[in-house]
Amino acid sequence: MADRLVTVAMYAVASLVSILFLYPYWWMCLGALRTPRQVLGDPLRLWPEVWDFSIFWDIGRIGGVDFWVYAWNSALITTAATLLGVAVTAMGAYALARKPDLPGFRWLRFGFLITIMYPYMLLVIPVYVVVFKLGLLGSYAGIILFLALGPIQFFLFDQFFRTLPREVIEAAICDGASEVQILVRIILPMAMPVAATVTLITFLITWSQWFPILVISRSPDTFTLPVALLSMNGELGSNVRGIMALAVVTTLPVAVLFILAQRRVMAGIATGAVKG
Amino acid sequence: MIDRVWQHRVFYALVLPFAALTGVFGLWPIVLSIQVSFTQSATALGSSPVYVGFANYAVVLADPIFLASLTRTLTYTALAVAANLAFALGMAVLIDSPRLARGSMLFRLALFLPVVTPDVAGYVVWRWLFDRSFGPINAALELAGLPAFGGLSSTHTVTTAVLIAELWHHAGFYMTIFLANLAMRDKALEEAAQIDGANAWQIWWRVILPQLRPAIVVNLVYATVQFLKTFTVVVVMTKGGPADSTNFISYYAYQLFDQGRYGEATAMASILFAIVIVLSLGAFRLTDRAGAR
Repeated sequence: MADRLVTVAMYAVASLVSILFLYPYWWMCLGALRTPRQVLGDPLRLWPEVWDFSIFWDIGRIGGVDFWVYAWNSALITTAATLLGVAVTAMGAYALARKPDLPGFRWLRFGFLITIMYPYMLLVIPVYVVVFKLGLLGSYAGIILFLALGPIQFFLFDQFFRTLPREVIEAAICDGASEVQILVRIILPMAMPVAATVTLITFLITWSQWFPILVISRSPDTFTLPVALLSMNGELGSNVRGIMALAVVTTLPVAVLFILAQRRVMAGIATGAVKG
Repeated sequence: MIDRVWQHRVFYALVLPFAALTGVFGLWPIVLSIQVSFTQSATALGSSPVYVGFANYAVVLADPIFLASLTRTLTYTALAVAANLAFALGMAVLIDSPRLARGSMLFRLALFLPVVTPDVAGYVVWRWLFDRSFGPINAALELAGLPAFGGLSSTHTVTTAVLIAELWHHAGFYMTIFLANLAMRDKALEEAAQIDGANAWQIWWRVILPQLRPAIVVNLVYATVQFLKTFTVVVVMTKGGPADSTNFISYYAYQLFDQGRYGEATAMASILFAIVIVLSLGAFRLTDRAGAR
């Protein structure tokens, strides 16, 4: 009996914490569906008075730029930076893990580690100067190139390539395979699952980025959804309902993606973090 | 050496894009930032910067707002690390329990979802949850007959409010690492201890906790670096206020940048960088010792 009670109590605590963690999402949806007057009248109401989705049409124009521009920018920048980052990091991590002693390779690894230790938001400002000098200010290219590299991506690939069985590669070398053949025929197929995990995690991380995009942008033309949300949040006389609607749109794609691939994402993040 | 490079040209070709991105968007800005920290702000970004030695560092270290901000940042980091890791460890142990075998995936999902939620979106919502007239938090407290929570508008409660929002966003990450470590532990040891007559508390303290050392070290490093850099939550929720009570270093340095005080801002960046490196190296040594055991 006492044993049953302990189990019930544990379920109660875990459920309560889970509900508290999920409540902000529900309130965000309610904030988008209810008018500010309705929210003010009864902030605790758990169900909208009417199911009025009109706000999602009204946020069509924010800050003089079409909402669809932000959505498109988010999709374009996140996809491009993810694909570029995964390809570049995979090749780099493979070379560094296979031949750590080649001239310059130790320095490169060290340099990368230094880069990720530098306070990120303070790095972004000198990045502004660099992007300016490269003539890429306000361009998609500048934003995508800066967002491409990240620590978790590198550590996941590094971890994977370091634990590859040496015998397989040595056997291929004995058979007279060239390095390119080893890469294409042996490494690439083996690396597919880890590459899928890294792609997923990179997409989720990149989608949330806002500060580098804000700094490198010259106008709202290259803003993504989180940046647009931030600038809307900063306006005077805030439009709470519009802000909540935009927050819903910003959150929904990554929330759906995460729920579809939860195990892979959580396992991947745990592996990448423990390695780092 | 050139022969060796040529012989391994495939690997140099593979590493080239990675090296280029690291150099151009990582190392170059850092070098530039350190260089700017030695120049006069007004001339810093021009074609002929005036070098002033350590003058910016002297100004920064004598600036009472900076020193207050540094103390505040370190205090907040200590508080946030302790709160996040204690909460994450508690929840990990709870969820890992065989008693909660059914439904544990749902609990994991609920606590991890905020980690992948864009931080701007999460903090925007929290800003309104704390709102005194719109927010449900004060409405619920009033309903329960409890005193109102000052939230973001009072200097006494703003740190707690920011801490709660950040815990919501980050704790699931630390919990996942604890859970991964718990899953890898040697369960036979617990059975052996049970046979030897150890009680539940002794088993937890003497058998399970020592095995969690790797996760504790990793989380300690991540959380410390994470909270030292606290920035987004301040931009979205408080703008450093009220009365500077959430004006952490990253935000203060960013404000100086915005005002064109490049030299001082980059000097602050260098100081924060040094603190992060010292703390990380300390933690890495801890990890090494843990690995050697």
